[in-house]
Amino acid sequence: MDWPLVVFVALAVGILFGAYRVATAQVVTHAALYLAFVLSLVAGMFYLLQADFVAAVQLLVYAGGVMTVIIFAIMLSELSEIRAQAPQNVLQRLMSPYFGILPLLVGLLVFAVIMVAVLRVPWPVAPQAAPADTVTLIGNGLFQTYALPFEVASVLLLGAMVGAIVLTRREGSDR
Amino acid sequence: MTGVPLVDFLVVAGLLFAIGLWTALRRTNAIMILMGIELMLNAVNLNLVAFSRYMPGDAMRGMVFALFVLTVAAAEAAVGLAIIILVVRRRGVVDVNKVNLLRG
Repeated sequence: MDWPLVVFVALAVGILFGAYRVATAQVVTHAALYLAFVLSLVAGMFYLLQADFVAAVQLLVYAGGVMTVIIFAIMLSELSEIRAQAPQNVLQRLMSPYFGILPLLVGLLVFAVIMVAVLRVPWPVAPQAAPADTVTLIGNGLFQTYALPFEVASVLLLGAMVGAIVLTRREGSDR
Repeated sequence: MTGVPLVDFLVVAGLLFAIGLWTALRRTNAIMILMGIELMLNAVNLNLVAFSRYMPGDAMRGMVFALFVLTVAAAEAAVGLAIIILVVRRRGVVDVNKVNLLRG
């Protein structure tokens, strides 16, 4: 029994089903929960690739942080737009030009182009030797080779945090 | 060892990217559009980590790049959702088709 392959297929089916439900769920909150499901399974995929640090960060930042922010945004936005719209049948939804068939066609086209490019290349079948300690490897990389991008990223995060606070501050509340 | 060829990861990531693009295009709710963008960023990250594991060369390069993508995605989510909340507070809508102040 080829266990990595079994785990991979299970994760892939879960990810694609969850992503499909994110695209099609009628209620926004359901879509958000499916998104959390997809993000957790992608962390599992990282673990399968033996990138355990990236998997942990994915769980912390995405499944923890970003999902919390998204759910807060859903709770703070208009109730009538969060509720499910009147259910349309599948045919009706597919026929509406802007929100039915056209996005699907664009998505399929992009996927086809990616696949044409990917399948022309003889990719390696077996992975490289697994690094013993990815945390040390990434830490050294971040503070030596990629020290400048690391600092720029920290400034970006600071700017984003201050920007988010300034944007959502209520006017007249700065006493 | 891992019996999964690299192509499988690339196909799954390609499908995930296409579904994310589909989500971002077919939804009119601004929060759902952001969720589609998150899906696409995750597909890219999956590709980067898979490449760093399978391709010869420095093993940490792809992982460090994935971490940077993750950082930018977090910043994007924070600012994007702040703007959405601001629009909701000012105009009372999350539907991007109803935010047409600058439409000629």
